[in-house]
Amino acid sequence: MAEIRAEMVANVWKVVANQGDAVEDGDTLVILESMKMEIPVLAEGAGTLSELRVEEGQVVQEGDVIAVIT
Amino acid sequence: MSLLNIDPPVTIADPIRANISDVDRDPRARLTALFDPGGVLELRCPEGTGVVTAIGCLRGRTVVAFATDPAIQGGAMGRNGCEAIVTAYRTALSNHAPIIGVWQSGGARLAEGVASLDGVGQIFTAMTKASGRIPQISVVLGPAAGGAAYGPALTDIVILGPNGRVFVTGPDVVRSVTGEDVDMARLGGPEPHGRRSGVVHVIADSDREALGRAGEAVDLLGGAGAIRPAADRRLGELLPESPRRAYDVHPLIDGLLDEPGLELHARWAPNLVTTLGRLGGGTVGVLANNPLRLGGCLDATSAEKAARFVRTCDAFGVPLVVMVDVPGYLPGVAQEWDGVVRRGAKLLHAFAEASVPRVTVVTRKAYGGAYIAMNSRSLDATRVFAWPTAEIAVMGAVAAVRVLKRKEIAAVPEADRPALEAKLAAAHEAESGGVGRAVELGLVDEIIAPDRTRSAVSRALAAAVIERGRHGNIPL
Repeated sequence: MAEIRAEMVANVWKVVANQGDAVEDGDTLVILESMKMEIPVLAEGAGTLSELRVEEGQVVQEGDVIAVIT
Repeated sequence: MSLLNIDPPVTIADPIRANISDVDRDPRARLTALFDPGGVLELRCPEGTGVVTAIGCLRGRTVVAFATDPAIQGGAMGRNGCEAIVTAYRTALSNHAPIIGVWQSGGARLAEGVASLDGVGQIFTAMTKASGRIPQISVVLGPAAGGAAYGPALTDIVILGPNGRVFVTGPDVVRSVTGEDVDMARLGGPEPHGRRSGVVHVIADSDREALGRAGEAVDLLGGAGAIRPAADRRLGELLPESPRRAYDVHPLIDGLLDEPGLELHARWAPNLVTTLGRLGGGTVGVLANNPLRLGGCLDATSAEKAARFVRTCDAFGVPLVVMVDVPGYLPGVAQEWDGVVRRGAKLLHAFAEASVPRVTVVTRKAYGGAYIAMNSRSLDATRVFAWPTAEIAVMGAVAAVRVLKRKEIAAVPEADRPALEAKLAAAHEAESGGVGRAVELGLVDEIIAPDRTRSAVSRALAAAVIERGRHGNIPL
C-alpha cells in the first residue's frame, strides 16, 4: 500500500483519476494549484487507486494523504 | 619508486573482477574492483591494522584509495589503521591525486581506548586539510558507525551501496538510550539517507555500481577538462505549453549535457536538481529548479543542498550552469522555523563567492529573492541567458497588482475582479518590463532560442577563464 501525500499547502484544482482506477507509476492522479503553478500529483508505483481523499476546490496541507494505491 | 610509505608493497593480479557477480567484502577485492582492470599498482595491508591502502589507475588517472577490513574487529579503526589512512592522504596530496575511501567499520576500536579516538580524529584533520585541494570520494558498502560515519561525511561525495548503513550510534544504543526500536536500514540505510538526511549523495543498487560511481565521480571532479562548443539540440519542446504547468526538469538537463550525468542528492530536496556531467567534453555542474516538486520553489533544504554543490564545483574548477524556473522561496511557518533565512543565505554566499565561470539560463519564471539566489547577474554570473518564455519580476504580475492596486480592485464588484486584475497585470508587465527590462538593464545578456542553448552556454564557458575557488569544501 502506498500513500500519496501533499508536499505543500495547495488547492486541489482538478481531480484526474477515479477511485478504483488501475494506475501505472507516474500517472497523474490530481492536479494541485500552489504558487500560481499547476502541480501534478503522480502515482508512485502501479496498482489500484483504492482511495482518493480529495475533492476539487479543497485545500490540502503539507503531509495530507491525497490518495492510497494498493 | 614507492609512493606509499607504509610496508613493502604487495602486488596482486586481477583475478577477482572477471567472475564475481557482486564484490567480495574483502578490502583487497573491493579495491581491485574499484580500479581499472589490472590498474592496481601497489596494495598494502599493514598487519593487524584492518586497513588496506592502494595506489592505482582509475579511468587513466592516478588515484589513491583505502578500505577498512570488516573481517578484522568489524573494521574498527585502531591507531595504526588510522595512521595508514593519514599516510594515504599525504600520498594523495603530494601526487595531486583524488582519494577514495571504501568503508565498512564499527568506528574507533574500543580496546585501544583514547588512542583510537586520537587516530580517528587525525583522519578527520587530514580530510579537512585536503578539502577542496583533491577530490575525496567515500563509498560505504557496509555499516559505518561513529568515526566511520563522520569520515565519509567530511568528504566531497558519499556513495552508499545497498548494504551501506551510516549512523553515529547503532540500533542497540538507540534502543537502550531512547527506547526507539529501529533496525539498521531504517536508522541509516539508503532510504533515510537518500530522502531525509542528505548525508549520502548517491545511492547504488549494488556494490559494483557503487564502486563504479566512485570512478565516475573522480573522473568528473578530477578531470574537468576543456569545454568546446557543443552541437545544439531541440530543448524547447521539453517545456509544457502552458506556462503554469509543472514539469520534470530531468529531460532538460539530460538534453543539455552531452550525455546523462551523475545526479547528486537525487531524492533529497528534489525541488532543486544538482548534476555533474559533461558539456562540450568538459565537466560542468548543473543546478536546476524542478517545477514538478514543490512547484520548483527554493526552500531551506534545497538552498543548502545547492550551496554545497556550488562550493564543491568551485573548489575543483568545475564551471556551473544554472537552469532557472523558480516561482520564489516557499512561504510558511515551517520554512521560517527551519531557518530558510540562515540556510538560504548559504546559497547567496556560495554563488557570490564562486570563482568558476557560471552561466545562467532563465527558462520560464525567476521571481523575487529566488531570482537573485539562482546565480543572477547581481551575484556576478559570468553570463545570463533567457529563453523568450522567461519572466523576471519581483513576483508574478497578477500577484503584484493585487498589492499595488489593492484599492482599485476592491472598488469593483467581486465578479469583475479577475478581468480587472488581468488588465492591470498586462499593463504592469508592459510597464515594469519583464524580461525586456532585464535586458535593458544588462541583467540578462541575451535572449536565446531554447534550441540554441547548448551552443550558447558551451561557447560562453569555453570563452571564460577557468579559475578555481581557494577554499575548502565544508559539509554545509
